[in-house]
Amino acid sequence: MRVATKSPHHGVAGGLALGLILVGCATVGGGSPTASTPTPIQDPPTRPGLPSILVAMPSSPDFVDARRGLVAEVHEIFNVSTLLITRETTVTDIADAIERVKPVCAVLMNNVTIGLFRTYESAHKDRPALPTVVIMSSLLDEVRSQIRNAVGISYEVPGVTAFVNLRSIIQTPIHRVGVVYRPVFRNFINRQKETAQKENIAIVGSELARDFSADDLRDALRTLIDKDKVDALWMLNDNLLVRDAQFLDETWRAELRSAGLPLIVGVANLVDPTTSLGTLAVVPDHEALGLQAANLIFDLAENGWNIKGHGIDLPLSVKTIADVRQIRARFQLRPGALARIDSGLE
Amino acid sequence: MTKARQTSPWLPRVRHQLLMALLAGSLWPMLANREVQAQTKPKVNVFLQLDAKSSVIEKTLQSRLPGLSITVFGRFRDFDDATNSGQPDAILSITPVLEARGKKATLQGTLAGKSTETYVLASVGEPLNSSPAGKTIGVVDLLSRDGTQSFFTALLKTTDVKLKRVAKIEDLLPLLEFSAADGVVLPISILSKFMERTRLAVKTRELPGVQVGLPAVAVLNGAVRGVVVGAFQKLDRATKSMLGIDDWSER
Repeated sequence: MRVATKSPHHGVAGGLALGLILVGCATVGGGSPTASTPTPIQDPPTRPGLPSILVAMPSSPDFVDARRGLVAEVHEIFNVSTLLITRETTVTDIADAIERVKPVCAVLMNNVTIGLFRTYESAHKDRPALPTVVIMSSLLDEVRSQIRNAVGISYEVPGVTAFVNLRSIIQTPIHRVGVVYRPVFRNFINRQKETAQKENIAIVGSELARDFSADDLRDALRTLIDKDKVDALWMLNDNLLVRDAQFLDETWRAELRSAGLPLIVGVANLVDPTTSLGTLAVVPDHEALGLQAANLIFDLAENGWNIKGHGIDLPLSVKTIADVRQIRARFQLRPGALARIDSGLE
Repeated sequence: MTKARQTSPWLPRVRHQLLMALLAGSLWPMLANREVQAQTKPKVNVFLQLDAKSSVIEKTLQSRLPGLSITVFGRFRDFDDATNSGQPDAILSITPVLEARGKKATLQGTLAGKSTETYVLASVGEPLNSSPAGKTIGVVDLLSRDGTQSFFTALLKTTDVKLKRVAKIEDLLPLLEFSAADGVVLPISILSKFMERTRLAVKTRELPGVQVGLPAVAVLNGAVRGVVVGAFQKLDRATKSMLGIDDWSER
């Protein structure tokens, strides 16, 4: 019964996760449950008579931040029991935790945890489906159906949020944003178009082949810049779009150098004034994500843990990291812009 | 010569030690004084929802108030925890937050002579003219779950409303963009900045009958009242404007 935590990667959830930079995760660490030194976690003292929530999560800092925001909200009403997911965690560990805690609801963080939980559910089909809130999992819309009774919050920062943040700090008008993507992201991009349109921003997409080359990427970027006349580019958090430093130089930097367009990215380390690339990184605010998850739990509790009517919510809160040197040189800062940036690098 | 040779390495060391002792003797009171000053600077915890990141507000306030030790919190929970455990000498927040802690304003911020402001209900397309009963309304977490619920249901004059709490004021806009709320409530002083960010067809209406106190300072440690009040009263116009006020009124 002992299952290595890498086994859940087999299947859609894992397959997607492998192809992505843990989407929207600025300081990452999320892709691997043991990527960083485990952070000690202490649950609030258990109080008899209160219902319990089981939180299954890796121990890296972003997950700990999300848990902190969650626990701060729910601990007065629920007992909280945390199960740290490591490479050694097995489906039996999940089953034991559920047996011990008897939770009214489980909070699952990241795709590896989802994989373990899915395996647990497959092995215990006779048991009632546990209401589950999923956060910090990539492409949740695609993997949600693999869990019997799940709601959650997408991890990907919506394009409109990123675009509005960029528009609020630079003078250059932003009406059309170009994005290149692989077929696995097609549904995601289509969903983004509608919300971006509400803010009068058109997303111009260019779909790449499943296995694209550096030249393919350059051609797609050049078409967006020269033919489609986009005002900005949006780089999705997809490992294949980034690969390595040389690939970045030969594709993104090469095209952006002549185009002079702002680039929106989803990871903080792509914004660096010394190696100019990303103009603005828009990343999830993990502690606020915990608050949003807590609100979802309160809603479910008030509805008798019935998930009907609940879909996948979009994340509301972000942090921004800007290459202020690049903005000053190319796009001009709006008045008061620096006060609206979480971290401005010069 | 031999004696001299034997003692020469030793003498400079003694001289050096004597010199260091003298220096230490004269410098120590200065250093110690600075340390004591740093330790004894009145601590002020700040929780305000403004159109500026808390790190920027903190940096600005700290530079303008060098005699105080300023910590700005972007989220209510962090402010609440730190204020409960850290025994600050004063707190700066809107008056409902002070009152929820049983504190009164020592120094009340005012704008155009008024110490309160109205809040508005913003929605997309059509203004929510009738009662928002049955609607989902986005609000900023000002007073934890129960306190925020009480505060905003009083503003909205109905308890038949589903409130969606967000951590920061800028998180209200996504609620409208994603159609995750029928409307959002925000102070009128923030409205123009809010509208600058969006191209949504936002309609607003003022929430009648309820005025909410502007930012105010409550001094919790009477021994430092003069220092804290004096420092805030000397704030320049731009910093007061950042706080959403243009003057102070001592209570």
